[in-house]
Amino acid sequence: MNLSELKTPAELEDLYHPVMAEIKEVKRLSAMETYYRVELPGGEDLGHMPGQFVELSIFGVGEAPFSVSSSPTLKGSFELGVRRAGMLTDVLLRQQPGTKIGIRGPFGNGIDVEKFKGKDVLIVAGGIGLVPMRSMINYVIDNRDQFGKLIICYGSKSENDLLFTDELAQWDKDPSIDYHVTVDHGSESWQGNTGVITTLIPRLDLDLANTVCCICGPPVMYRFVLMSLKSKGLSDESIYMSLERRMKCGVGKCGHCQINHSYVCQDGPVYHYPDIKSMQEAL
Amino acid sequence: MVQFYLEGERVSEFVAHLMNHKTVYAPHRKGQKSFSFERTQNPADVVLDYPRTMHSVKKYFLPPREELLTFDLKKNDFETSDIPVCDAIFLGVHSYDLAAVGRLDYNFTVGSPERNYLTRRQDAIFIGVSFEPDKYHFSGSVGIRPEDNTGCDIFLTKLFDGYVLEVLTPTGQELMEGMDLPAHEAGKPATGHFHQHIFVPQAKLSEIMERSYDNPVWEETAEKCVGCGTCNLVCPTCYCFNVEENVDITVTKGNRERHWDGCMLRKFSEVAGGEVFRESLASRQRHRIFRKFKYISDQTGQPWCVGCGRCTAYCTAGISIVSIVNRLIGEYERAAVAPV
Repeated sequence: MNLSELKTPAELEDLYHPVMAEIKEVKRLSAMETYYRVELPGGEDLGHMPGQFVELSIFGVGEAPFSVSSSPTLKGSFELGVRRAGMLTDVLLRQQPGTKIGIRGPFGNGIDVEKFKGKDVLIVAGGIGLVPMRSMINYVIDNRDQFGKLIICYGSKSENDLLFTDELAQWDKDPSIDYHVTVDHGSESWQGNTGVITTLIPRLDLDLANTVCCICGPPVMYRFVLMSLKSKGLSDESIYMSLERRMKCGVGKCGHCQINHSYVCQDGPVYHYPDIKSMQEAL
Repeated sequence: MVQFYLEGERVSEFVAHLMNHKTVYAPHRKGQKSFSFERTQNPADVVLDYPRTMHSVKKYFLPPREELLTFDLKKNDFETSDIPVCDAIFLGVHSYDLAAVGRLDYNFTVGSPERNYLTRRQDAIFIGVSFEPDKYHFSGSVGIRPEDNTGCDIFLTKLFDGYVLEVLTPTGQELMEGMDLPAHEAGKPATGHFHQHIFVPQAKLSEIMERSYDNPVWEETAEKCVGCGTCNLVCPTCYCFNVEENVDITVTKGNRERHWDGCMLRKFSEVAGGEVFRESLASRQRHRIFRKFKYISDQTGQPWCVGCGRCTAYCTAGISIVSIVNRLIGEYERAAVAPV
């Protein structure tokens, strides 16, 4: 390769340079998950698409990828839903509104919303998988006329682990949303469905030719959800899924997020199922 | 092309001449059988006749540790760290290591070009030297001959008592100003032959790898492998890295650094919460080999292994990349001719 064809390195953007953004709002979502609303300098929009992620850092602690939970239709700030899973998230949990954090991104491909327009949208979210899927759900809600039916299947360990409960209640009430929720283990006071997320799928009323689905959840969930969707009659071509890997750099360099040949931070995290069916490390 | 004769006795004079121009990095002896690229202080320390250095010149363009930024914890603010230009002469580089630099150039340019690597890399001057293949080299199998001077400004071909010195670029020509050498009229000697070979070209290897995803060789190799990551560490085309924070003992300041990481290490694919996506050593061995002969190669048409032999020479468990690949080739070919 001829390096002289490139811009001089001094003109290149520093890929690892974070922007100092401000935490504007912190809310506890559950015992393990916390909501953050973050504002970039000058209230600039993040400019993301549903399904994309950012690299969030706290100096002296570290940097890690987090899915953006808000829809791009939310202007002036963006939202994250963070599970406590390590040192960075522990420290993040102690931060108050007004704290500045480092942000790089948005990264990844995000959901190609054009492929969903005019179609019924089926969202299957397990556990913290609701966080990225919420960006798409709210995108559909805010652009209601561009999409067909909105069908949401959400599964959680218990009712105490349900996230964004205010919004869940709204989705449940909204006549234009076909909302289904289940918990693996319900307490005695739980009135809703009990069982894993796949138990929600047989009862769905799907227009198979006109439905596009996006799945996000813990690694173990995908295979079973796929089986249920297939036995329901949904074609592979109508299935997308968002995959979690260790996107350390976000810019296709560090190698950590690879699934076979594919860099999740570049080609994903949202994959069209036919593209990853033959990738053995994917599911 | 201008060819000169550099007498063995005058190599030190040549090194001193280069040192008058710029910083010179060259192979130095580190032990009885061990060599390392080092900054040359004394021309007599330079060894041009060596089998391989433990690390390639990659370490100058993608340093084992590189500071990305420094932060002030009291102000919760940071400054991007300066990346120095590596305006130096790399003397005595073997063709496979220069080919590896070419591979890294691709990796750090494709998609989002990376300022850090390219800044360090942009002004490097290379003086290559031919080598005598030892029992580990197999670069000939991946299209890299010992006399290949691609990417060099000057190239030295070993003669019995000295070197044929070829000036290949205007930069090389500038370097030679003031160094008076006799012209070399005779031809160049044939370089030695390889003792290790991979028996098919890359185009076929890609297909063989495709069919070998579930081959027992990965499990069998994993039984020997200790997962130490030495193969990643010494590979001239491995470029994966991790990023970590270092906090000063005063807890008022620190830096964010990247350092080399390797896909053979268990934590490499671990995400928050503890899930490891490449849990078995077999899957990590396969990933390493596929990274060298399939994944990037399918995009570029080139093997991403340059045949230096380091991963085999330094493997703590005696695993040979050539044996793995040839076994896959052998099994593929036997399957192809087997009666159905």
